[in-house]
Formats: sequence, structure tokens, C-alpha cells
Amino acid sequence: MQKAKDNVPISALEKKTNTDQIKSVVSLSQKANSAIKQKELDCKCAVIKAENFSFYYGSTVGVKDISMEIYPCSVTAIIGPSGCGKSTFLRSINRINDLISNTLVRGKLLVNGYNVYDKNTNLVNLRQQVGMVFQKANPFPKSIFDNVAYGPKLQGVKNRSQLQQIVEDSLKAAALWDEVKDDLKKSALAFSGGQQQRLCIARALATRPNVILMDEPCSALDPIATGKIEDLIDKLQNDYTIVIVTHNMQQAARVSERTAFFCLGELIEYDRTVKIFRNPSKKQTEDYVTGRFG
Amino acid sequence: MRPIIRQITDKAFTFLTGTSVVLLTFVLLIVLGPMVWRGAKAVIFKDTVEFRKMQLDLYNRGNPASLKIQNTEAESFRKIVYETIDTFKHGIDTEELIDRTKQIYRQFGKELRYKGITGEEYQKIRSLARELRDKLQAAFESNDKKIIKENVDYVLQYRLYKDLADTAAAEFFTLAEDFLKSIENIDLNKRQQYAGSLEQVEEIVFRLLGPKPSEPLPALTMDRYGATRWDLAQKLLDKLLWSEQWIQKEAGQPLVKIRVSRAEEFAGTKLEPLFSYVQNNLDKMLLPGPRFYWQYFIDDSTPGHYFGGVGPEILGTLLLTLLAMLFVFPLGVISAAYLVECASDNIAVRIIRMCINTLAGVPSIVFGLFGLAFFVLFFIPLFGGPSKPCILASSLTLAVLTLPVMIRASEEAIRSVPQSYKEASLGLGASRFRTFVKVTLPVALPGILTGVILSLSRVAGETAPILFTGAVALGPLPKSLFDPTRTLSYGSYDIAVGDRLAMMVPHNQYGMVVTLVFLILCLNTIAIVLRARVFRKLRGN
Repeated sequence: MQKAKDNVPISALEKKTNTDQIKSVVSLSQKANSAIKQKELDCKCAVIKAENFSFYYGSTVGVKDISMEIYPCSVTAIIGPSGCGKSTFLRSINRINDLISNTLVRGKLLVNGYNVYDKNTNLVNLRQQVGMVFQKANPFPKSIFDNVAYGPKLQGVKNRSQLQQIVEDSLKAAALWDEVKDDLKKSALAFSGGQQQRLCIARALATRPNVILMDEPCSALDPIATGKIEDLIDKLQNDYTIVIVTHNMQQAARVSERTAFFCLGELIEYDRTVKIFRNPSKKQTEDYVTGRFG
Repeated sequence: MRPIIRQITDKAFTFLTGTSVVLLTFVLLIVLGPMVWRGAKAVIFKDTVEFRKMQLDLYNRGNPASLKIQNTEAESFRKIVYETIDTFKHGIDTEELIDRTKQIYRQFGKELRYKGITGEEYQKIRSLARELRDKLQAAFESNDKKIIKENVDYVLQYRLYKDLADTAAAEFFTLAEDFLKSIENIDLNKRQQYAGSLEQVEEIVFRLLGPKPSEPLPALTMDRYGATRWDLAQKLLDKLLWSEQWIQKEAGQPLVKIRVSRAEEFAGTKLEPLFSYVQNNLDKMLLPGPRFYWQYFIDDSTPGHYFGGVGPEILGTLLLTLLAMLFVFPLGVISAAYLVECASDNIAVRIIRMCINTLAGVPSIVFGLFGLAFFVLFFIPLFGGPSKPCILASSLTLAVLTLPVMIRASEEAIRSVPQSYKEASLGLGASRFRTFVKVTLPVALPGILTGVILSLSRVAGETAPILFTGAVALGPLPKSLFDPTRTLSYGSYDIAVGDRLAMMVPHNQYGMVVTLVFLILCLNTIAIVLRARVFRKLRGN
């Protein structure tokens, strides 16, 4: 675990000093400012890199021949019609797809420079580096505290006060602390959907990952809760690499720096969000983002 | 569909479901109601002074001083019964009288020798005594009153004979006089019939009032006390007052049972007043009183459950059930976990699953024989244990019996845990084992507990699997897991088929069955409360 962490080019922990970078996500034009360009130059080294990556469910194609690089400390959105393989790609990154039997992998998928589909990959380390937030809020039917402390406990943190500190930090980072600080012992299922989803994000943050994968995190939430999650994503991107799959193109436009458009298991176009939504180079992309695509 | 038809079908559906629920409740009440009513009689009933005596002797309960007063009171009324029977018996039971004459004759001979009378005189007196003895015997054996009179008169003429007066032989005359008196009202031709009926009367009186105070205490505990329960006493009274006879009314017709009043049977004899006396004074002889015998649930019983309670049976049932649960719970959960989490859907797993389903339908007696062959004769001896039916073998057999139920329930429970929980846990880096133990198992626990409830009820009530593997009807309390035990289910089975003694106390069988039902109910309630608590904790209210 430690060894893997040492290989992270820009450790999430070190980057915490930069949290005062404040950005507003009001319009697309503001996104294209020079600060972002500067940041891209800073972090040239990709955290996640797919090289001709293909994933098959038996004989059915999940994704085919994907090659893309995802950059650290930014939000990358993956959009595309249903069944285009965007979730498959996302779930391949931390190998949660392993739960499905009878699958086939071709090509390489590198996280922090290591191929995750290598035989020697330590799944525990990988998944602690690459946290995941799911479509439907899925807190464990345990107390808030136990939910957040689940990951650190797996890492071997036993000290009560240390755990408490981690839980507090994670809940604060997920902007949930003020709402639940008096109810840490209460079951997570007693809270609202939006709060549960933020709790899931806090839970993912508690293992101190570099990358957070989000699989349509707002699709089951109302606009207010969605807004809160989006604000949170915006805040988190200072410290974490975030990959978000979404059906909601406005959301992709609002929160992401870069956007990948998938269709029928193939990566059609991957570029800066501004470009994808304003001036896509492929006809297919244009059809999709303008709503002409069936 | 037209709205009106739709309305009608909807109403019909509601009515149908409602009716089935009502019917089900009704059937349950019909089945359980009388059983509970009869079973309750094992605990709440009218006891008698005999019951109090038994409780004091066997369990050291009650007040000896007041019991003594009650006993004296009861005995004063019982005395008349014994006296009446004794008087009557002398006229009927002549064998005893014949034996007595023989004894007197022998005693008289000894007396003569003791006095130093020898030679010719001795022979003379001895032959006279022999003659008297033979005459008396002839009188006792005869059914003809004329012959009896002749013989007795012949004997009595020697009453004042000086050689016989004030010796043992003088008793010949008292015997002869008493006999004449006692046969006054008896139809001698009926003597044989009387003798048979009298034997029955004596037996019933013995069961009703216990042994005579003058006689030594019987060896069997159950013979030491009369009717301990008022309902039993009533039943015996009925038997005393009415005898059952099988008669043929017409030739070629089957026999019919009729009830004949014993008072009529013994009409005109000295025994006749006995029946009305017992009928009128039974309560004074037995002093019935209400009793709440809660100790029924803790008391040990005398062999055949004639007295006492079902304490060891309850203990044995609990022990077997809980031990079986202890075996089946981990085994069932682990098997289910394998089937759901680890096994891929191939032909081998499908066969395993089919086998489990088939096992659930195998008759329990088959499991019983399996338990005998495997656990008793092979498995336990393999580890150095004794090769005999014991609690361990029984509970293992029960565990195997209920394993399919447990596996299926656990499988369903584990399968119904949302995939998202597992994903979340795995996504945080947990191993599959840890995910199962920390996330899946707690969430599946209510469902698994449902399996426990189902197994529990089945195990506690099963008789066939423990028949050969560790249940006994009689015997001491088990000291270790390698001893056999009594159980409620086997106990009620044994009373139903084997134990003639216990048939006389039917409340015991119902008592056992109802205790079993309530025991299962209690165990289930505990499991249900536990499940509700787990569920509440999961839901977070």
C-alpha cells in the first residue's frame, strides 16, 4: 500500500495545501481561463491512462479500443448514450467489474503507471487509491461513523481518536459535517438521499484515494441535492482526480474540465469540455450534444 | 373489462382472501383449543389428599402437620369401606377359610405335643380335630346350604368338648359360626361370580384410596398412593359403580357392551351399601381441593409419568434444540455463502442445489436411521466417544435434518442483500471475506434468523430422528452430552404407543404436547424479537 502511494506523482495529501484555490463554475467561458491552462501544464503526467483498452462481457463488447489519458486534479466527464460502455470503462478503473464473471480484457489500463489488469495487482491497494461513488447512494446500514470509518479500519487504523479525526475530516471535506455532527451514531439510512450520497463521498474520501470515480452520482437526486454534490465535486477537484459518468450534459458542462464522448463502446471524442460542447470535431459528438442524436 | 365486472371480481377477491384467513383461524382454534384446554388440566386441577401425601413424600412440599389431620379425617371415612369389604369377603373367599382351618389343625397338633400328651390319647384327640377340619372344609367348599348346615352343625356339637375348649381348635367353632352368618344373604351359586367382581371392586378401591393403612407400603411408587386427582377419582368411582359386561342379545349377533350397576349385582349382600356409601362420601375420603401445580414444568416424574411433571423433558428438548441450532447455524450460513458468493453457476453447483432441495423433503425417519448408522455407530466412536445413543448424536442428526431449510433460508437472505452494499465495500478495498462478514452477513441476518425460526420449530417437534439416536422415555437426567435424554416429543409419543401406566393419566400427554407447543412458541418469540431488533438497528430507527 505504502509503496503504491509513493508512486503517486502528486500525492493527494500534499496537494491539500492548495485547497484555497477557489473557482466558481458559473459558466463555460470562465472555465477556459488561463489558470486552468496553467494547471494542465503543471500536471502533464496522466493519472489514468488507457492504451487500446477493450472489455468484453463474454462475447458482447463493453468497450473497445479505448485510448485516453485522464489528468490529475481535474474533473473528467464521460458522456454518451445508454449502453455505450461509459460505466463499463469507469468500473474497469478500480476493477469493480470483477464481480461479473466471464469477462475478457484486452489492452492496458494504467493507474499511476501500473496496469490494473496485471496479474500481480493488489486489488485492496488499487481500490483504496481509486475510490468510487455509485449511482444510487449505498451507505451501509450502519451508523454514520461506522460508514466513514469502514475504509480506515480496513487500512488498519484502530486508534479511536485517530478514527474520529479521519471521520471528521472526511465529513467536512464532503460538506456533511455540519449536518450530521450530532448524529454520528444514527443509522445512515435515516438520512435523505442527497445526504446519503455525500456520505458515500465522505466514505470514499476516508481511505485517502487519489482518484474518485463517480457513476452518475446525481441521477437519483433532486436539483437542490444535485447542486450540493456539484459544488462538492468542484471543491474536491483541487485535491483529487475525479472521473464522472453522467447522462446529464449540462452537468458535464458545469463540472468538468475535460469530456469524453463514448458511443457503442468506442471513444468518439475526448477533449476539453469547452471544445466538446462548443466546437466538437466529430459529427457524432455534435449530434449528441445538440440533442439530434437518437 | 367493463367497470361493473371489475368491481365484482375485486370484491370477490377480497371476500375470498378474507374468508380463507377466517377459516384458517377457525381451524387453528379447533385444533389448538381443546388441546390447550386438556393440557391445562395437567397444571390446574382439583387435587386430593393422596396428591398432597405424594407431594410431601416425593418432593418434600406441603405442611406435614395439617396433612396428618387431613389424613386422619379421611381415614375415619375410609375405615367403613375396608370393613364392609372384609366382612363380605369371608363369605365369598372360602379358600382363605380353608387355609385357616389347616393352620388351626397344625397349630393344635403342636399345642398337644407341647402339653406332653402322647400315645393313644393324642391319636384320639388328633383324629377328632382332623374330622372337624374335614367337615368344615366340606362346608366351605359346598354350594348347597343344606350340606353346609349339616356339616357346621356337626362341628358345633363338639363346642363344649373339654379336650378342645380353650385350645387352638376352639377357633374352629368361631369360624363355623361366622361362616353361617356371612352366607345368610348370599346366593351360593353366585359365589364364583361374586368372587370375580369383588376382585375388581377391591382393585378399584385400591386405586382410589391407596393401600390399606394396615398393610405394608408397596414397592412401586405408583402403588403407594390412591387417586391423586379428583377427575381420576371420578373416573374410578364410575368404574366402581358400574361394571361393563359384554352380552349377546340374540344368537348370531355381535356382542354388545352394557353397563350394569354393581349395587344391583351385589343386591341383598353385605356389600350392597358400600356403593352408595362411596358415592356419597368420596369427597370426605379424598378431600379434594383446587391446585395450581406450576411445579409441573420443573418436576421430575415417577416412571411412566404417573406422578410428577415434565422438567427433564423440557430440559432435554431445549438442550437438543439449541445444540442442533449451534451446529446448523454456522454450517447453514457457510454453505449458503458458498452457494451465493463463491460458486459459479455450473452443473456441479446445480446438482448440489438440487440435492439440498431434495434433502428438505426426505422423511425424518430416514434421517433417524442415518443418524444411528453414521453418528451413533461410526462418527462419535471415531473420536473415542461411546457408541450409544446420546444427546450429541441426536442434536447432530437434527442439525442434518434441518440443514436444507437453513441453507435455503440463508441463501435467499444473502442473495437479497443489495449488490450495491457489496460493491461499496469492495470499492473501499475490502476483501470478499471481509465484505461478507462485515456487510453482507449483518444485512442478511434477519433473513437468516427466519431460517433459524423455521428450523427451530421443526427440530423441537421432531420425534423420528431422535428415536434411535438419543431419546429415552425413562431414565435419569443426562450428566454429559454422551447420555441419552428425555424429550417432550418423544415422551408424548411414548405415552401414546407404549406406556400403559401413562394411559391412566391422559392429562400428562396433553400436558406434554401443550408444553411443547408453548416451548416452541417461546423460542420463536425470542427469535422474532431478536430479528426485529436486528432489523430496527439496520433501518436506523
